[in-house]
Amino acid sequence: MRSNEWISLLIAVIIGVLWIFLGQPYVFQHGFHTLLVGPGMNLQTFLRNGSTPGFTVFWAGCVSALLVWYFITFTSRTSQSSQVRSMRVMWWIAAIILVIFGWLCQLFFAVIWWLLRGLSPLDGGVGINYFPIPIAGWVVILLMIVIDVALLFWLPTLLASPRSFRLVVPGAVSLKGGR
Amino acid sequence: MDLFAIGVGGTGAKCLEALTHLQACGLLQAADGRPVRLGTFLVDPDQQSALLTRAQTAITRYGAMRRAVGSGTEAFCRGPLEDYGHWSPLSTASGALSLEQVFPKAVLNNRASGLAALFDCLFPPEEQQADLEVGFRGRPPIGSAVMSRISLEQEAQTGEWQKMLSAIESAAGSGDPPVIHLFGSVFGGTGASGVPTLGQLLKNWLKRQNLQSVRVHASLLLPYFDFDGQGDGDTGIHAEVRNFQLNTDAALQYLRSNGDACFDSVYLLGSDVKARFDFSIGGTTQANAAHVLELLAALACRSTISRNQPAGYAFSISRSNRDALNWEDLPEHEVVGKGLAAGARFAVAWLNNFSKEIEAAQKVRMTTFVSGAPWARRFFSTSGKAAAVRGERPAIRDSQELSTRDAIDAYCEALLQWLAQVSGNTGSGFEQNLFTTDTLAPTSRPINALGRVVLGKARPNVARSADTVERIKIRMDRLSRNRIKLKGVAGLADTLWQLSI
Repeated sequence: MRSNEWISLLIAVIIGVLWIFLGQPYVFQHGFHTLLVGPGMNLQTFLRNGSTPGFTVFWAGCVSALLVWYFITFTSRTSQSSQVRSMRVMWWIAAIILVIFGWLCQLFFAVIWWLLRGLSPLDGGVGINYFPIPIAGWVVILLMIVIDVALLFWLPTLLASPRSFRLVVPGAVSLKGGR
Repeated sequence: MDLFAIGVGGTGAKCLEALTHLQACGLLQAADGRPVRLGTFLVDPDQQSALLTRAQTAITRYGAMRRAVGSGTEAFCRGPLEDYGHWSPLSTASGALSLEQVFPKAVLNNRASGLAALFDCLFPPEEQQADLEVGFRGRPPIGSAVMSRISLEQEAQTGEWQKMLSAIESAAGSGDPPVIHLFGSVFGGTGASGVPTLGQLLKNWLKRQNLQSVRVHASLLLPYFDFDGQGDGDTGIHAEVRNFQLNTDAALQYLRSNGDACFDSVYLLGSDVKARFDFSIGGTTQANAAHVLELLAALACRSTISRNQPAGYAFSISRSNRDALNWEDLPEHEVVGKGLAAGARFAVAWLNNFSKEIEAAQKVRMTTFVSGAPWARRFFSTSGKAAAVRGERPAIRDSQELSTRDAIDAYCEALLQWLAQVSGNTGSGFEQNLFTTDTLAPTSRPINALGRVVLGKARPNVARSADTVERIKIRMDRLSRNRIKLKGVAGLADTLWQLSI
């Protein structure tokens, strides 16, 4: 990889961290407040005890996927373009798994974790052992997870996939291959 | 500068085959660094000779590749080649196919009975009646008798000789006198009789044309192979191993006394380790594999075109290891090794990978193909559409691009076959450390490893495990814009050539 690709990768990772831990909570608070908050829910409590832990684990998953991607693409030796292209299938599988994983992380920290412990995350909420996020809120979270995957996985792999895999990431030919 | 190479007989044809590949590998350069214009001319009465066909194939395919690639390349396929064709000494004998038809006995008896008796004395009946369509059957006297009838003045009026002699005249008039180099064996029939005779005829002709500045040189091959098996009653008279020494002795004696009249310089090459070929009377069955000695004979041209030959000196080369041939044993081995290594690595990478990639690109959309082959966008349009303006990247499906690919494929097949034969045909108990023979074969699936193709000092300075086609593709992808001057298949081949070594 060239030095500008390493720098791009570093910048993409920093942007991802800033987005996940600062940008996204801000957007949740100021953009989607009404969609995310169900009956008796406090958005700050949800962000602190539900959303942020879920997105932290999800971020770690994305970073792990990124590391696995770089390990594979750095160590693979390909003799033909069809072998390189077969990695695009792997990329899509990884991206879909990350979206599902992100959604499961949110489900776990918003619902399952509280159900298993028999506790209520709501202030004075008795008998509701989860964050009662409305359907629209779940849709927003799912969309955010897709955006996160784009930011945490697609963008770094697009900017800095090594060797023969430089253009195998979706959109890379259009965005980088026109030279 | 022009180099006119004349291959006489089967061995001569094999030397021209080697010389053509040297030209392809960029190893025939004049003192000013520009590639020489190589003209090839084959002389053999055996029109069906497999060796002649093989040499002609290499010449034709190189010419076709050069026409397809064009002259805009930086390093690949830069040497011009003019094929002056093939000429049979029997063509001057009004369709005669035997000595008794060339010198009709009735006419001899009628005009000079003494000559007829001498003819009978010199040539026994089986030699007089032998069918010469398969060559001079390892008998220099037969060849000399036929060859001595040639009149270059007459030949210069028509046909293949006329084309070549005119080219020699015009090249000599350009101020940069051309070089004529003859190739042939001195232990067989056609070469042993033809090379000195043609050398003398050419020298005389040049003198009469007042073209003394044109030098005539020769690479003469001494015995370097034996036959497995031998002819039987059905084959008639034929080349016999036991006559090789005798023929050689006679030819060298002739050269000792008449050499100055034939050549300006002579390169003698032989080998104590003999390759073994199946016996053949000639024709299509005479498919002797290429040999490293023919490569050495062709390399003599590097010496003749350099004009760096002090008069009256004799130079010699020999190998340093009794049982093996290494790069260091070749003259100017650093340059020659680099050129041959580039050729071998290019041909393997092209035929066994890039050509297959171009084929694979025909089956998918170009954007899909480029996603797995970033290097391709440097040479071909990523939209898959044909270039609207000359100089733009053409479509990878363009029929002209595919024709160029086919021409390069065809030549690479010939080059790899020759390299594989040179490296595999060493003689028993003798090995070569130039190439790995089994890596020089065309493969059905794309290959990646190039680390074993070239051995020894000529290998590029890259770890063997990292020496791959993929590495070259990655380097192609990273080349700056101004490093790639030519687009399309020709540009791809040119860049591959430069990155091969």
